[in-house]
Amino acid sequence: MRQQAVAPAASWLPWSVVDAYTATSRYLRRGMRQPDVIFGSILIPIIFVVLFGYVFGGSIKIPGGNYRSYLMPGLFAQAILFGSNSVAVGIATDMSEGVIDRFKTLPIGRSAIVIGRAVSALLLGIPAMVVMILCALAVGWRPTGGLGNAALAFGLYELFGFAAIWLGILVGLLAQSSQAADVIMGIPTFLLGFISNVFVDPANMPAWLRVFANWNPMSALVTAGRQLFGNSIGPPPSGVWSLDHPVVTTIGLAIVIVAIVAPFCVCRYSRTSR
Amino acid sequence: MTSAAISVERLARSFGQTHALVDVSFEVRSGSVCALLGRNGAGKTTAVRILTTLLSADSGRAQVAGFDVFSQADKVRARIGVTGQTATMDELLTGHENLEIIGRFCHLGAATSRRRADELLREFDLVDAKDRLVKKYSGGMRRRLDLAASLIAEPEVLFLDEPTTGLDPISRREMWTALRGLVARGTTVLLTTQYLDEADQLADTIVVIDRGLVVAQGTPEQLKASIGRPHVVVTLPDLDAAALERVRGLLGDQAEIHGLSVRTPASNGLATLSAVVTQLERMGLPIYEVGLEHPSLDEVFSTVTGHSDEAGMTAPATGKDG
Ligand SMILES: Nc1ncnc2c1ncn2[C@@H]1O[C@H](COP(=O)(O)OP(=O)(O)OP(=O)(O)O)[C@@H](O)[C@H]1O
Ligand SMILES: [Mg+2]
Repeated sequence: MRQQAVAPAASWLPWSVVDAYTATSRYLRRGMRQPDVIFGSILIPIIFVVLFGYVFGGSIKIPGGNYRSYLMPGLFAQAILFGSNSVAVGIATDMSEGVIDRFKTLPIGRSAIVIGRAVSALLLGIPAMVVMILCALAVGWRPTGGLGNAALAFGLYELFGFAAIWLGILVGLLAQSSQAADVIMGIPTFLLGFISNVFVDPANMPAWLRVFANWNPMSALVTAGRQLFGNSIGPPPSGVWSLDHPVVTTIGLAIVIVAIVAPFCVCRYSRTSR
Repeated sequence: MTSAAISVERLARSFGQTHALVDVSFEVRSGSVCALLGRNGAGKTTAVRILTTLLSADSGRAQVAGFDVFSQADKVRARIGVTGQTATMDELLTGHENLEIIGRFCHLGAATSRRRADELLREFDLVDAKDRLVKKYSGGMRRRLDLAASLIAEPEVLFLDEPTTGLDPISRREMWTALRGLVARGTTVLLTTQYLDEADQLADTIVVIDRGLVVAQGTPEQLKASIGRPHVVVTLPDLDAAALERVRGLLGDQAEIHGLSVRTPASNGLATLSAVVTQLERMGLPIYEVGLEHPSLDEVFSTVTGHSDEAGMTAPATGKDG
C-alpha cells in the first residue's frame, strides 16, 4: 500500500476563498519585487500633474474656476483607467509562461488565480493613488465637499478601477501575446481617457465627439468626482442621463461589468486547451 | 478490480493539420514506472498534457488514479504531481516561496507547506539557494526545483516530461535515485525521455510512440527480444586481417568485421555461441573474447521508429534479415 505522510489540512473557510487569498498574496509579493514597476506607476501620475496642470493647463481657461482644481478629479480617473493596462499585459505574460500550466494541474478553485490577479492589482494601485492625491494637494487642489463625500468619491474611483481591471484581465486572457494585450488595451483606454471631460468641457467639441464624450463612462466618473469634491464649475449638460446621475451610473456600470466579465474570465482561464 | 494507475484508450488529438496523437492506448500498473519514448514531435508532451488535465482530446478515453481525466479533472488533480517540459517556477519568488505556495494550493495548510518545502529543498540539494530568487537559479537548479514542486503533496501518480533534460550526469543519477525511492513508496510514475539508457534504467514498461501512434510496448527485455536476435561477437587480440578473414569465413555470409571483432546473428542463441566456440578451438587462432551481444534499446528504437521515417534520418534497421 502507498504510504502518505502529508495529509490535506482542514479549513473553516471554503477552499475557493483560501485559494483566492493564496493567489492574491502571491501576486502581491511578486508585485513588491518589481520596484521599477512600482516606481513607474508612481512617477507617471506626477508627470501627468505637471504636464497637464502646468504645460497645457497654462493655456486652458475655464470660466469661474481654477483649472488645476478642475483637472485633478479627471487625472485621478485617468490614472485609474491606465492602471488597468498593466493588468492586461501581466495576465497575458502569465498565460504564455509555464506557471499557469502548473496551477492548472493543482486542485485549486477555477476562480482563484484571476481573482488573485484582480484583487492584487487593486491593492497595488493604491500607493500610486496616494501619490496622486499628494501631488494634487501640492498643486493647490482642495476637496471642499466634506470628508464623507471625498471618501465616497475615492470609493467610486476604486470601484471603477476594479471594473477596468476585470476588463484588462479579459483582454489579457483573449490576447495571443503580451504585446497584443498592450495594444488592444491601450487604444480604448486612450480614447476613453481623452475623448471625455477629463481635460476640457465637451461643450466645445464637434457634435459627434461631444455625444461620445458625454456618454463616456469616464465622464460620469469624473463628474461624480468633481461634484463630491466640490470642484464643479457649473451644472452638467442637460439631457445626458449618465451625467445627471453620475454616482448611480458609475456604481451601476461597475457592478454590471464585474458581474458579466468576471465569470467570463474564470471560464476563459479554465478552458483546458489553449 | 483493475490495478492500473493510468489507462489510456484510443486517444487522439490534432492541432489543425498536425495529428499529434492518432491512436494511443496503454496502461500503467499501479506502483510501476512507465517510460514514454519517442523522437521530437512524436506526441509525448501532448499525451502528458492530456493526462494531466491541461489539454482536451478529440476522442478516446483516459483514466488516472481511477478517475476520468475529462469529466473528473478535479479528482485527478488532487492525486497527481506534474513536472512539465518547460519551467513552471515563478522567477520573482524564492525557491522556498515557490514550493510553499504550491503546497498551500494543494491544501496542505501553511505550516505543513513550509515543512514540506524545507524537506524537499534538502532532498534536492537546494538548501543553500532556498532564499534566492528563482531568476538567479541555474538551469539544473530550476529543473530540480520544478521536480520538488511536483512532489510536495506526495502524489499518487507522478508525470514527468523529460525530467533529466539539462541535468549534469551526477544530478541525473541523483534524480534516478530519488525516483526509485518514490517508486519504493508506491508512487506510479509516467515519464517521457529521449535517453534510452534512462528508460532502460528506470522503467518497468516502455511505450514507444512515433507520429502519434504506439509502435512498440513492453518491458525493456521484451522490446529488445522482439526486435533483434542476439549476435555472436568474436574479438581478436591484435589487428590481423588474415585471421579476421578466416573467422569471418567460419561464421558465414552474414558475418561482418568491425575493427578487431567479427559479428554474426546468433539464430539459436547460446547454442550458436557454443558451436562457434568449438569451431574456433579447432582452428587454433588466438582469441581475445567470444560473447553473446543482445540488441540495445537504441537499436529497438531506431527499428520501430525507422519504418515510418520517410526522410530516412534514422540509422538503417539492425537485427533484421530478409
Ligand atoms: N499547441 C499546439 N499547437 C499546434 N501544434 C502543436 C501544439 N502542441 C503540439 N503540437 C504539435 O504536435 C506534435 C507533437 O508535439 P509534442 O509536443 O507532443 O511532441 P513531443 O513528443 O513532446 O516532442 P519533444 O520531444 O520535442 O518534446 C508536434 O508536431 C507539434 O508541432
Ligand atoms: Mg515534449
